[in-house]
Amino acid sequence: MNRRDFVYNVALGTLHLGLAATPFRQAGAPRQDLRIAMHAPDMPLSPLGMPGAFPGRVVEVFHAGAIADNRVSSSAMKTMIDAGMEGLTGNARPEQAWARFVSPSDVVAIKVNPSGTPQTTTSIALLREVIRALNTAGVPNSNIIVYDRNSNQLEVNGYHTLVPPGVRVVGLDQRWAVAGQTRGGYDPAVFCEMDCFGERETRSYLASVVTSEATKIINLPCLKEHNASGVTGCLKNLAYGSFNNVARTHVDPKTYTDPVIGVMCTATPLRSRSVLHIMDGIRAVYHSGPFAWNPEFVWDARTLLIGTDPVAVDRIELEIVEARRRELGVPSLWDRSLDGLGSNADMQRTAHKNPFYREPGHIRTAAALGLGTWELEAIDHRRIRLG
Amino acid sequence: MDQHETDWVTLLAGNDRRGAVPGTRKSPPQDLLWKASLPEAVRSSPVLREDVLYVTCRDGCLYALDSRTGRQRWTFQAAAAIDSTPSLSGNLVLFGCDDGKVYAVEVTAGRLQWTAETGGPVWTSPAVQAGTVYCGSTSGTFAAIDRGTGLVRWRRQLGGRICSSAYVAGRLVYVGCSDGNIHALDTASGEDAWSYQTGEGVSASPAVAGSLVLAGSEDHVFYALDAESGRVTWSVVTDLGIASSAAVADGKVFFGGKDGHMYALSIIDGRQVWKSRSFRTITAPPLAGPSVVCIQTFYGTTQAFDLSTGEELWRAALGASLQSTPVLTNEAVYLASYPGVIYALR
Repeated sequence: MNRRDFVYNVALGTLHLGLAATPFRQAGAPRQDLRIAMHAPDMPLSPLGMPGAFPGRVVEVFHAGAIADNRVSSSAMKTMIDAGMEGLTGNARPEQAWARFVSPSDVVAIKVNPSGTPQTTTSIALLREVIRALNTAGVPNSNIIVYDRNSNQLEVNGYHTLVPPGVRVVGLDQRWAVAGQTRGGYDPAVFCEMDCFGERETRSYLASVVTSEATKIINLPCLKEHNASGVTGCLKNLAYGSFNNVARTHVDPKTYTDPVIGVMCTATPLRSRSVLHIMDGIRAVYHSGPFAWNPEFVWDARTLLIGTDPVAVDRIELEIVEARRRELGVPSLWDRSLDGLGSNADMQRTAHKNPFYREPGHIRTAAALGLGTWELEAIDHRRIRLG
Repeated sequence: MDQHETDWVTLLAGNDRRGAVPGTRKSPPQDLLWKASLPEAVRSSPVLREDVLYVTCRDGCLYALDSRTGRQRWTFQAAAAIDSTPSLSGNLVLFGCDDGKVYAVEVTAGRLQWTAETGGPVWTSPAVQAGTVYCGSTSGTFAAIDRGTGLVRWRRQLGGRICSSAYVAGRLVYVGCSDGNIHALDTASGEDAWSYQTGEGVSASPAVAGSLVLAGSEDHVFYALDAESGRVTWSVVTDLGIASSAAVADGKVFFGGKDGHMYALSIIDGRQVWKSRSFRTITAPPLAGPSVVCIQTFYGTTQAFDLSTGEELWRAALGASLQSTPVLTNEAVYLASYPGVIYALR
C-alpha cells in the first residue's frame, strides 16, 4: 500500500506533494490549506491508463440524426461510435479498434452517469452500443459490470432493466452477490483522507468494483455543466462516482472539487484501469447541472466526445459549454462575482445564478497531476460530422 | 382450496393494482400509525391480507408485519436480495429472488414450501392461475411452475431481460421484455401466440381489460393491443419512457410517465381523459379505484388524484419509490419507501 500526501493552497490555487501541518480551526470553516492523503495500492501504471494510448487526442462526433422522435437514435449511435473509434485509433474495423483497449479475458466495468434523470444521463443507446462493441472484441456479457454509486438512480434510468441479460448492474450503495458471495460496495483499504469543512467522516473509500473486480474501466460521462466543479465530465464522473462520501467537498459557496477530483483520479487502480472515455453529449447541459431539472438549460448537442485522455476531453467539453453560455449571454463558468451567487431555487430559475463559485480549474489541476493535456493548442481535436 | 382462492393473475393481484384489498377511502391520511425501518432498501410493493403486511427487502428477507402495530410476526431469510413484489396464492407467499429462484413460503409461520430455479435474478412478481405460477427472470427465461410442488413445467428463453410481471388470462400469458417485445405465450407450452415489437424495452407489466392488452414501453408510447392477435388497437405518445405498470378502473387506464405526469386514458379509444402533473419522474405502478388513483414517485411524494377528473386530492411528502405502490384500506394507508422505511398512516 502506498500513501501520498497532497497539499492544496487555497489562496494560491496551487497543489504540491508534501506534508502539511493541520492547524486548529472551527468545524464548518473552510481550510486554507487542504491536505489530502491518498492510500492506494502501489502498483505499476498501465500504459493504457490515463492519459492512455492517445494522449491529447479528442474526437468530436456530431450526427444530425442523433435524436429522432425525441429519442436517442440507436442506429445513429452505432454510426457515431464506429466513426469516432476509427478517428481515435485509425482502425476502420470496430472490433480492431476496441481490441486496442480490451481483451476477451478482461472484466470491464462501465461507469455511467445516472444523475440527471430522466433526460441528461448516459443514454441507454450509448450503453448498449458500448456493450455490443465489447462483445465484438470478445468480452462476454458475464464479464461486463455497469456501475455507479446510486442504485435507485441506475434503476430509474432503466439500466437494470434494459441492458442485455448477463450484464451485471451494480449500485455501490448496496450489497450484491457474486458466485454466491456477498460483496460490499467499497474497499476499506483504498481511501482518500481529508478534512474539508470539519466533517465527522474524513475518509472517502474507493469502489470495490474498481479495486478488486474490474481489469478495465470504460467511462461514459455526460456533457454537463456542474454547479460546483464547473463541468462534470470524465474526471468527475470517475472520481465522484467511484469514491464515496464526496458531497462533503462542496458547501455553498465554497468547493474543493479542485483539487479533489484530480487527486482521486490518481488512485492507481482507477488511473490504471480507465482506458477509454466516451462522453454522451447527445443532450447537453449548460446550467444547473448535474440534475438539470429545468429543461430550459438542456440543449440537443447531438455530439459524442471520445478519447483516452480525460483532461483533454474535459477541456473540450468546457469549451463547448462556455461557447453555449456565451451564445446565450450568461456568465462564464469562471465567473467569481458576488452577483452570480444565489440559492438552489435561483439556479433552477436563471442561468445567471449559482450556489457555488465553480471550480473548472480542477481540469488544469488534473493535468498538473499527469492525467492529461490541458492546453488547447496541444490537443489534437478531430471533428467528424455525420447525418 | 378452490382455484378462486389461489389465483393471483398479475402484479398486485389484478387490473386495479390494489393487491386484492377492498376500500373506498378518498380522504388524506392524518397521523402516523406506526413506522418500521428495515435494514436495506425496499424496491417492491407491500401486500396486505387480513392483518398482515408482507414486505420483501433487499436484505434478503420477507417480513410479515402486524398491520396494526408494525411488529414482526415472522421473517423468512432467502439466499440473496429480494426485488420482487410478493404475490399471495392461497396459503403461499410467492416471490422472486436475486439468487435466481422463485420462493413459496407458507403464510402463517413463514416456512419454506419449495423453490424453483429460473436461471437469473428474478425481479418480477409471480402470477398464478389454475395451479400454475408464471414468472420471468433477468436472464430472459420465462418459467411456468407447478404451484403445489415447485416443479418447472416449461421454460421459454426470450430475447432480453424480463422485468415485466406477467398477466395470465385464460389460455394466454402476456409479458414484456427488454428487447422491446410484448409476448402472448400459450400457457400450456410457452410458445408464442403472438408478439409485438415496440421501439424500446418493456419493463412495465401489462394490464388486460376486455379484449385489450395495455402496456407502456420505454419508447415513450403506451399501447393497446388486441389480446388475441397482438395488433395495435390504439397507441398514445408521451414525452418520455414508461416503466410504470398500468392500472385499470372505471373504463380508464392509468399510468405514470418518466416525464412526471399521471395519465388517464379511455380504454375504448385511447382518448386522454386527464393528465396531471406529478413530481418529475414516476416508475412505480399506480393503484386505481373505486374513486381514487394513488401513486408514489421516485423523488418521494405520494399523491392521490380523483379518478374521474385528475384533481389532486392529497399528497404526502414521503414514500420514495421505484416500484412500490401504496396499500389503501378504509382504515389506513401503507407505504414502503425505497430507503427501507414502511409507514402506516391513518
